[in-house]
Amino acid sequence: MTALLETRSVTQRFAGLVANSDVSISVDRGEIVGLIGPNGAGKSTLFNLIAGVFPPSEGAIWFDGADVTRLPAAERCRRGIGRTFQVVKSFETMTVVDNVIVGALVRATHMRDARRKAHEVLEFTGLAARAGVPASDLVPAEKRRLEVARALATSPKLLLLDEVLTGLTPAEARTGVELVRRVRDTGVTVLMVEHVMEIVMPLVDRAIVLDLGKVLVEGKPSDVVRNPKVITAYLGDRHAVGA
Amino acid sequence: MDRQFAQRRRRDLVVAAGLIVLAALAPLLVKDVYVQNIMVLTLMYAALSQSWNILSGYCGQISLGHALYFGLGAYTTALLFTRFGVLPWFGMFGGGVISALIAMALGYPCFRLRGHYFVIATIVIAEIALLLFQNWTFAGAALGIDIPVRHDSWLTFQFTRSKLPYFYFALALVAVAWFVTWWLEDSKWGFWWRAVKDNPEAAESLGVVVFDSKMGAAAVSAFLVAVGGSFYAQFVSYIDPESVMGFQFSLLMALPAVVGGIGTLWGPALGAVILIPLTELTRSYIGGSGRGVDLIVYGSLIVLISLARPQGLVGLFARRNKASAR
Repeated sequence: MTALLETRSVTQRFAGLVANSDVSISVDRGEIVGLIGPNGAGKSTLFNLIAGVFPPSEGAIWFDGADVTRLPAAERCRRGIGRTFQVVKSFETMTVVDNVIVGALVRATHMRDARRKAHEVLEFTGLAARAGVPASDLVPAEKRRLEVARALATSPKLLLLDEVLTGLTPAEARTGVELVRRVRDTGVTVLMVEHVMEIVMPLVDRAIVLDLGKVLVEGKPSDVVRNPKVITAYLGDRHAVGA
Repeated sequence: MDRQFAQRRRRDLVVAAGLIVLAALAPLLVKDVYVQNIMVLTLMYAALSQSWNILSGYCGQISLGHALYFGLGAYTTALLFTRFGVLPWFGMFGGGVISALIAMALGYPCFRLRGHYFVIATIVIAEIALLLFQNWTFAGAALGIDIPVRHDSWLTFQFTRSKLPYFYFALALVAVAWFVTWWLEDSKWGFWWRAVKDNPEAAESLGVVVFDSKMGAAAVSAFLVAVGGSFYAQFVSYIDPESVMGFQFSLLMALPAVVGGIGTLWGPALGAVILIPLTELTRSYIGGSGRGVDLIVYGSLIVLISLARPQGLVGLFARRNKASAR
C-alpha cells in the first residue's frame, strides 16, 4: 500500500525567503508522525502547503493516491485532510456545537445527521458539557480541543495537528495526548507539529525534524532525540560537541 | 440539547405566526390612512432589512449598496409594465432574477475584497448604477417613469381607494423574508455563512467553499430586495432614479438590522418597527423645513445602541431568556 500522504520535493518561497526547500516526506496510514524543529524551521509552511492554504512554488503533494497540489483547502478537506490552527480560529459568535456542525456538514446531507455527528465528536473530545456555550466563552485549553473536534467532525483520513499540546498545563497536555491516541485508534492518521519534545516523543511512531526549511533527520523518536544534528539544530554547536 | 434546539426553532415559528396574525388584524383598528401608510412602509423595510441581513448579517459581507437591487426591482417591474404591458407579478420575479444575477456578477470581483474595501465597493457600484439610470433615456432618465394607474386590481397590483392590499402584500413579504431566513438558519448554507463571517480561513479548512457561500448569500439577498423594490414601484406608482436607487435606501435597509441585532432572526423586524415609524413621524411633524432631522434622530439612536447594546436590541430578550432558563 502506498503512503497516505507524500510531499515530493516541495519548495516554497516567500519573496526571496525559502521557507521549505526540497522537502520530501511521507506519512503511512495509521501512523502518528511528529513534525518538529526549531522556530522558523518551516513547519507551519509545510502544514499550510499540505492543508492547501496556498500551492507550493515547486514540487507536488499527493494524498490518498491522487495529486492534490493544486486543489484548494476546502476540496482537500472533502478528500479527507482535517486540520487545526496553531492560533485557534474558533467561530466565536457560534456555540460549540454549531462550530462542530460546520465541520460535520462536509459529509452530512441532512442537518439532523450533521448535528448527531457533532454531538458524537463532542462526546469523544470531552466537550459535550459545553455544547451549548458560545465558543467565545471557552478557556484556551477547551478552544484547542474545539479545534480538534471541528476537524474530527469532517471525518478526516489524515488529521493535521498544529501545536495543539503547546501551552497547556501538564494535566491538560496528558488529556491531549490521550485524545490523540484515541483518535489514532479510530483509524485516523495523525501528523502533528509540536514544540514540546518530552510530550510529543513518547506519543509519535516517527519523528521528522525540519531545520532551515529542509528535512534534517527522520526516524524513531528515541533515535532522533539522540542525533547530534538535531541537538545542534536546537541548542547550537557547543552542545553537540559535548554529546 | 437537541430537543432544546428544536423547541427554540418551533417557538420562533409559533411566535412569528402569532405576530403575523396580529399584524393582519391591525387594520381593523387602524382606519387612519396616514398611519396605514406608515404601517406599509414599516413592513416593507422590515422585509428589506431581513433580506439585507442574509448577506450582511449572516454572511458578514456588509453591503451599503443594496439600493441597487431595490432600484433594479422597481425599474424592471415599471419598465416591463409601461413599455411591454407585462404584469407586475412577472416583473417582480424578473426583477428578482436580474438582481440576483447582477449581485453574483458583481460579487465575482468584489468578494475578493475584505472588510472596509468591500463596503466601499458596494457604495461605489450603487452610485454608478444611479448615474447610469439618471442618463438612460429608455428608462426615463432623470425624469423617471410614471406608472399609469388604471383601476383597482390584483392583476395589475394597483389600488387607489385603499391601502389595505398593499398592507397585506407587504406583510406577506415580511413573512416570506422571515421564513426564508428561519429556514436558512438551520441549513448547510446558514452554517456556512456564519462560519465565513466568523473566520473564513477556518471555514475553508472545514470544507466550506467561502466564495460560493458569499455568492449564494448575495443572490438570495438581492432577489428578495428586488421583490421589495417591485412592490415599492407599484405602491408609489412613480419612480425616478433618486427615489428608488438613492443611497438612503441602502442605509434604511441596513439600519433596522443594526438597531435590532445584525445577523439575528428577529433583529431586522424589531429594528424596523422602532425606526421606521420614528422617521416618518419626525419627518411629518417637523415638516419640510426640517429635512434631515430624521437623520439626526437616526444617528442618535445608532450612537445610543452602539454604546449600550452593540449586539442590537434582540440581545435584551436573549438575556432575559437565559436568565429565566437558569
